[in-house]
Amino acid sequence: MENNGEHTTHFGFKTVAEHEKKAKVGEVFHSVAQKYDVMNDVMSAGLHRVWKQFAVDTSGVKAGDKVLDIAGGSGDLSKLFAKKVGVNASHNPGEVILTDINASMLGVGRDRMLDAGLAIPAMQCNAEQLPFPDQTFDCVIVAFGLRNMTHKDVALKEMQRVLKTGGRLLVLEFSKVWQPLEKLYDLYSFKLLPMMGKWIAKDADSYQYLAESIRMHPDQETLKQMMLDAGFHRVDYYNLSAGVVALHKGYKTA
Amino acid sequence: MIAPLVTRFLQHITQQNNWARPHLMPFAGQMITFDFVLMQAHLIILEDGSLAIAPDRTQADATVHIPPSLSLRLATGDAHAKSLIKVEGDLHLATEVSKVLQQMRWDIEEDISHVVGDIAAFKLGEVSKSMFAQAKKQSTDLADMVSEYWQEEKNILAKKTHVTQFNDAVDTLRHDVERFEKRIDKLTQSITPASTSSDEAPAAKPKKPRTRRSPPSQESA
Repeated sequence: MENNGEHTTHFGFKTVAEHEKKAKVGEVFHSVAQKYDVMNDVMSAGLHRVWKQFAVDTSGVKAGDKVLDIAGGSGDLSKLFAKKVGVNASHNPGEVILTDINASMLGVGRDRMLDAGLAIPAMQCNAEQLPFPDQTFDCVIVAFGLRNMTHKDVALKEMQRVLKTGGRLLVLEFSKVWQPLEKLYDLYSFKLLPMMGKWIAKDADSYQYLAESIRMHPDQETLKQMMLDAGFHRVDYYNLSAGVVALHKGYKTA
Repeated sequence: MIAPLVTRFLQHITQQNNWARPHLMPFAGQMITFDFVLMQAHLIILEDGSLAIAPDRTQADATVHIPPSLSLRLATGDAHAKSLIKVEGDLHLATEVSKVLQQMRWDIEEDISHVVGDIAAFKLGEVSKSMFAQAKKQSTDLADMVSEYWQEEKNILAKKTHVTQFNDAVDTLRHDVERFEKRIDKLTQSITPASTSSDEAPAAKPKKPRTRRSPPSQESA
């Protein structure tokens, strides 16, 4: 988007300059980092754990594979993947790299990994400029992170670049809910969610942004097309919990 | 919510039956549908050789049709029932997945042992096995009783011996008809050359038709 010669983008329902979005998203996650897990459990009634486990189950990764967790935040997925690829295995150990653009979130994730006895690399990096060579990973996953990225198309192309041929990208993200439930979902998102954010995380604005950013995120078919445009093949998706969340999977072919 | 739970279960079963992975890995990324008429199960083979629920709105590479009557026969271990399964699409994929699924076993005792310990899990396993065997026997007995009632009392179903007799009678009739047809053919062939020769040689003197001599009437005598 362009406004008065300046490139703009969405920040929830607001329109902001592209260079401002990164900082604004950063503020949101700095603010919620310490209460992130508790809020996730409360907001989704624990379902986020089921969605994440499902993403790992359908990834098809095996012992010895290399996995990149983008916007990994508190490290829930890195922990599950570390177990699946066997990072601590003596024979054919796998590798998981936890990354996030936000230092506060990454700090929480790194500490949790260490507490769980998993010494996996944690790197602060921007998904639009991944510091890895081409054809490095068997699987790349981004869970609840793509909607916060300023240039989603650039980020998807970067993910495609670092994947090995035959590797796959998994995008777990909020999506378009089943139409009959839309009204109820709106009520929950715009009324209840900010209230819960205020009571638990003492930050209503961040959770208002969460609800707005979900509505501005592309729906299932649009995201599928974006992945195809980024060079992925055989892109399919699962609707989870009536479309509240969708898991997209795309392959890199030769 | 069903997809994550079923996939978790399938992953667990594949983990318990690790031998299955090399059989399924060559088909990674392919989808198969099991059509039970009342419900369908869409599965995808993952890159690690495990199974998961297939994504939404995807086309299956192979479809296995199993009607409810066949499902029951398969459940009771009827070997002939397997040959009646209908397959569409990639036959190799369908055969391999069906074979693997039939040989997979859920080691339920192993799972229970994590909660109640090995001995209790073994006992529970034994009890559930005998209960399952008992239930299977009861249902087979019930099915036998119902079929006998329908055969003997209600005459809804035909007895196997009657069907065999009927089939034999039909066979005999078919053979008789075939023999009869052959006779007619033979007779037709024996007549046809005569008419053909009369066409080819119109100048030939026609034979005097043989007439049966009628018995002398009493009046002329």
